[in-house]
Amino acid sequence: MIIKVVAMLIQIILIIMLAPLVNGIIKKVKALTEKRRGAPVLQMYFDLYKLLQKSMVVSEVSSWVFRVTPWIVFATSLTACLFVPISSSLLPLHFQGDLIMLIYLLALGKFFMTLAGLDTGSTFGGMGSSREVMISAIMEPALMVSLFTLGLFARSTSIPQIMLHMQEQGGMLAHPAFILLFLSMLVVIIADTSRLPVDDPATHLELTMVHEAMILEYSGRDLALMEWGAAIKQLLLITLLVNLFFPYDPLPGAAGMGFVLLASLGIYIMKVILASVLIGLIEVSTVKFRLFSVPNLAALSFILSFIGFLQLFVLGR
Amino acid sequence: MDYYFTVLSTLILFTAFLLIANKRPDSYIKTFRAQSLLLALTTAIMGTHNLFAEGHYDVMVVCLLIIILKVIYIPNLLQKTQANVAYVVEKDFFSSIPLLVILCCGIVAFTYFTLISMEGMDAGPVNIQLVNSVSVILIGLLFMISRKRAIGQIIGLLVIENGLYITGIFATHGLPFIVDLGIFIDLITAVIVLAMMVFKLNDEFSSIDTNKLKKLRG
Repeated sequence: MIIKVVAMLIQIILIIMLAPLVNGIIKKVKALTEKRRGAPVLQMYFDLYKLLQKSMVVSEVSSWVFRVTPWIVFATSLTACLFVPISSSLLPLHFQGDLIMLIYLLALGKFFMTLAGLDTGSTFGGMGSSREVMISAIMEPALMVSLFTLGLFARSTSIPQIMLHMQEQGGMLAHPAFILLFLSMLVVIIADTSRLPVDDPATHLELTMVHEAMILEYSGRDLALMEWGAAIKQLLLITLLVNLFFPYDPLPGAAGMGFVLLASLGIYIMKVILASVLIGLIEVSTVKFRLFSVPNLAALSFILSFIGFLQLFVLGR
Repeated sequence: MDYYFTVLSTLILFTAFLLIANKRPDSYIKTFRAQSLLLALTTAIMGTHNLFAEGHYDVMVVCLLIIILKVIYIPNLLQKTQANVAYVVEKDFFSSIPLLVILCCGIVAFTYFTLISMEGMDAGPVNIQLVNSVSVILIGLLFMISRKRAIGQIIGLLVIENGLYITGIFATHGLPFIVDLGIFIDLITAVIVLAMMVFKLNDEFSSIDTNKLKKLRG
């Protein structure tokens, strides 16, 4: 029981502390490829610290939804943290079906975020909300098919069990179809974390923004919570990607418990840094799509995951 | 080695899907270049295997030819052609891209069920390689008939050729050298003639939309 609580604490604290770093790395990669020096890697920590000191401005016409949404977004992201183990020696919470639980916890946060965007009645907020709902609705099938294909492969719907099974089978090398699933999930993650081909994270007050439009009315502590929650969600999705497809970390029982834990955390941080660099490189090498081209990307991603499923369970037989 | 071929065939299938989801001629050419690079990689692996196991070096020569022709020369020629013709941003495809992508998925399933019913096909990874490569041929055909402008149609032809080549190399582990050479000479002639035709088309109609050819009559 105590071990479980300690595992939960390590997991939550690590993810909360690491999440702004991922944004910093992505921004640094973008700056370096554009031959700029760029903001320091730790910039988002300073921003969050500054925002937490400031007072808030809340619109008079907004309702309670506007005020509770930052807490809900942050809390759902934190709860979702418990379901994605960052190493196979830390298993905070797991049960059959936590895969579905994870996706819908994140969707709950997104639901309240879109409501808050609509709540103040500003035109930007409403536009951002409707776009966000459209994008997440068309991206959902691809994520579902790729996750459930992995689940079928591991004969379980629990993330730690899928992870352990993938590790036994050699991760991504188990079958060529996993390349297709990986690419499909990468597209979904880029769309879900409001990255470049779908949404521009660096834009403010433009007609093309999606995620930024929804949080435009927030200020001070609420804004800090929203941005931190989004960063945690991004790190969670990256963790899911690297741990499902590249689960190469030392299993418990090989050496001393503490050593194995430290080694696997080190490997995990390396994997996250590599994935952030990959996402940064994708961001600099693409341009933003028109909103009506996003379904093309969604269709491609869905069909890639579906062909991965076909190759694993129909064609490979 | 079989595993690497399956991975490469999957990646080539992925580039074919990427191609059909592309919207602009510039990105068709880039995707075609990437696909040819994967093709060259497959040939290089096959070539090194042949060189060390049997002492044949002809597949390596073919690999060099692929790099020179399909990765460097033909994409550059097409890019030059594309840069010189009138460029109007317009819808270049007949039906919507999501529909085309879903049709491609149908093509993969169709190829599988066609190949599985053939006599003498053994199950396993070899089968998946063939399914992927034959699908690339059919996706190239779909790409060719789904684009209006001439550049897209040329790329479709080249993708069909890539698919045929990759099917050949997976089925036979290296075609006879003279056959490969003949195909390359054919291909280079075809592409040069087509590129010239695109210029001519652009001069006559100030567009490279092949539908406008119908306006010749009367």
